[in-house]
Amino acid sequence: MLEHNRTNPVITIVFILGSLACLIPFWLILMVSLSGQNALAKYGYSFWPREFDLVAYRFLIHDAEPILRSFGVSILVTVIGTAVSLLVTSALAFSLSRQDFPYRGAVSLFVLITMLFGGGLLPWYLVYTKFLHLQNTLFALIVPGLLGAFNVFIIRTYFTTSIPPSLIDSAQIDGASEYRTYFNIIIPLSLPVLATIGLFTIVGYWNDWFTSLVFINTDKLYNLQYFLYNTLMNAQYLQSVADKAHIDAASLQVQPLEELRMAMAIIAVLPVALVFPFLQKYFVKGLTIGAVKG
Amino acid sequence: MHSIRKGSMLASSLLLSFALLAAGCGNNGNNGSTGENAGQTNNQDANQPANDQAAGNNQAANANSGNAGAEKPLDPYEVVMIYPDGKQNDLAAVQTAMNDYLQKTYPQMNMTVKLNPIDWGAYTDKLNLMMSSGEKFDLLWTANWMNFETQVNKGALLPLDELVDQYGPDIKSVEGDLLDGAKRKGKLYGIHVHQELGNPQGIALRKDLVDKYHIDLAPLASGEFKDLEPILKTIKENEPSVTPAVGPAFPLGAYFGSGSMESIIGPVGLDQRDTNADNTYKVVDMYETPRYMELAKLTHDWYKAGYINKDATTPGVDIWKKIQAKTAFAAIGTDLEIVKDMAIGKPSHMDGKSAQLGMDIIQVPMNIDRLHTSKLSATLQAISQTSKDPARAMMLLDLFYKDAKLLTLFNYGVEGTHYALNNGQIDLPQGKTKDNVGFYHDNQWQLGNQMLNFTRLGEDPNKYQNYEQFNEMVKSQSSPIIGFVFDSEPVKNELIAVGKVQSTYDPGLQSGQLDPEKDLPKMIDKLKAAGLDKIISEAQKQIDEWRAANGK
Repeated sequence: MLEHNRTNPVITIVFILGSLACLIPFWLILMVSLSGQNALAKYGYSFWPREFDLVAYRFLIHDAEPILRSFGVSILVTVIGTAVSLLVTSALAFSLSRQDFPYRGAVSLFVLITMLFGGGLLPWYLVYTKFLHLQNTLFALIVPGLLGAFNVFIIRTYFTTSIPPSLIDSAQIDGASEYRTYFNIIIPLSLPVLATIGLFTIVGYWNDWFTSLVFINTDKLYNLQYFLYNTLMNAQYLQSVADKAHIDAASLQVQPLEELRMAMAIIAVLPVALVFPFLQKYFVKGLTIGAVKG
Repeated sequence: MHSIRKGSMLASSLLLSFALLAAGCGNNGNNGSTGENAGQTNNQDANQPANDQAAGNNQAANANSGNAGAEKPLDPYEVVMIYPDGKQNDLAAVQTAMNDYLQKTYPQMNMTVKLNPIDWGAYTDKLNLMMSSGEKFDLLWTANWMNFETQVNKGALLPLDELVDQYGPDIKSVEGDLLDGAKRKGKLYGIHVHQELGNPQGIALRKDLVDKYHIDLAPLASGEFKDLEPILKTIKENEPSVTPAVGPAFPLGAYFGSGSMESIIGPVGLDQRDTNADNTYKVVDMYETPRYMELAKLTHDWYKAGYINKDATTPGVDIWKKIQAKTAFAAIGTDLEIVKDMAIGKPSHMDGKSAQLGMDIIQVPMNIDRLHTSKLSATLQAISQTSKDPARAMMLLDLFYKDAKLLTLFNYGVEGTHYALNNGQIDLPQGKTKDNVGFYHDNQWQLGNQMLNFTRLGEDPNKYQNYEQFNEMVKSQSSPIIGFVFDSEPVKNELIAVGKVQSTYDPGLQSGQLDPEKDLPKMIDKLKAAGLDKIISEAQKQIDEWRAANGK
């Protein structure tokens, strides 16, 4: 194993550059959010603000209520959505991975079709508003993201390649029911893939603003991303309205500060950034507690 | 078995990198494409129900006019109004106040309103979905830069000619011929909001520096941007940390855009500077006009001399912030405020901007818009084909052109709660701010007859008189093709190709980075290859047909 500890300098450099490419813009955002009013106009973007100022964050705290509420909505939707989504996705994948499941081919095809062809926005909208009547409820934010065909196939592939059928057979010979097999044998063995798909789903729910845009009309149920999107778009539109409709520009409201937007972006990124280290633990754990050891 | 573990390690690390990739870029791509697909799907799906329902609506309208004739009281009806706006906490209170007022003042109309604002960012998407899914609503705000043409083409809007004749006497008396700007294929689809009919554009300068260097603004009376050069030079030499001139988005775009061309579509239009009377209706390409070359050269020279901002190609440059931060001196080619007795080259104080920036700004108009067709559909109210009672919607719309009280409720909220009158101007109630008053928006330009409005404290109390005076000036020099609307359908593909060439060269030329002597001919060649000539001849054909039909 010793030779594995030597790192290849080329790979290291590539990864350092890659990480920097991700970190530098983030750093820039953080620094802008920490700089004083109009610093951008005065000095432009810089990696170290000439004058530190928490004015943007103070402003956010002063007007905290809508942000906190949208934060709450986002967290609630992400937690519930991810938990339910993992359950549904892995259960479907489990069924599809079983050789003895009668309509395996047909169901797989059905899932596959949803991956290849989308129904389009309008039917999607109509199903949730006219048939399920989910508009302006939290369900409208959760249900559309529950099941992704791509995730189903990833988990199915993991089940078929990494869990030997003999393990399921032996569990059932010992008298375990399907549910017991699924919850006590399969799930604990699948933590790596579940953690990965979980991360997909968390990021998906957390970053989703489009469902809010389409289904939510009351500002009480805006999630954080949509709240930010909205603040940004309102400011941009007001500016473009002044150009396009040739409105007397002076009569329009002053837009929020650039620094404020950056501060909001930082606040929105933090939770996802915090979730990652916790999930990382499971990647390792899932690999080491495998039931069938070599 | 060792290999299995290694394999799954590889698999999960692959998965992980996938996850990160997806988190980083995947989402953006998806969102974008969903949006595009959405637009297309809507267009196709909407046609079918649109036609069916329009027929139904006409019957409803006829039935209603029958009722009115027989003096039978109208059934109660709720007019749903859709418009873009930010969040207003007290929306419900304002709506109730409007309804109380309607019931009290116009009981015979027996209608209520439901205010249904949509956030700016979601307006296009949501409105599209509401139209396509056949949701019931009545009045909607729209504009030619906000999908008006698409909405007309897919049949989402009702033709209004008969409705406005029957139920819109005040609209007709206020707007008159100006209504024609929203006619498409001979039918009226939108009611123009009565407002200023154009804008002055020109130069806005910092008063502190003008005073400091005793700058004489008289040479600007020529209305030519090149006469600004000595002034910029003074600033450049004496104030090294100040950019002498900044332009909104692109300097050249801004000052060529004002007063050089009668734009028809994209880069194609009538040359306003061509004094030969035979060429009044001759369609040309703006890049080939002498005026464009002249201004492009000027921009390039200014760029080289350091008179204009070098970061014009950076998106999101806010010229006013630069002026506020005292790193810039003049905004060139920007829209100006309408004041009393405007004239080219006549300096005046820019009240609104000065208050906003907290420093004194002087404006010098270099151009005053002619009356353009496009301006007349730049802010409209229309009636949805999903309306159950278009006649009632038109009655309500008509009220906004004559009833200042109703309009004030919509624009400023409830007196005492959301505003207080201070010498006949709108002021915030004691101890309230814009943020906590519960209802504060500047949507005057979205609805009705703006001239009926109050002004806000800090604005010129004579704002609307100035507007009227300004409108007379604009109307007196209306565009030769007023009323003409170009149908872009026959040259759709060419327009896209031409747009692509433009987006490659425009930023460089308009910011002054490219040398027009060298690059402009190259650009024109590429434009021709992209089908520019076809667009020109199509536009010429349509103009000629329009002239023949209208006797011009």
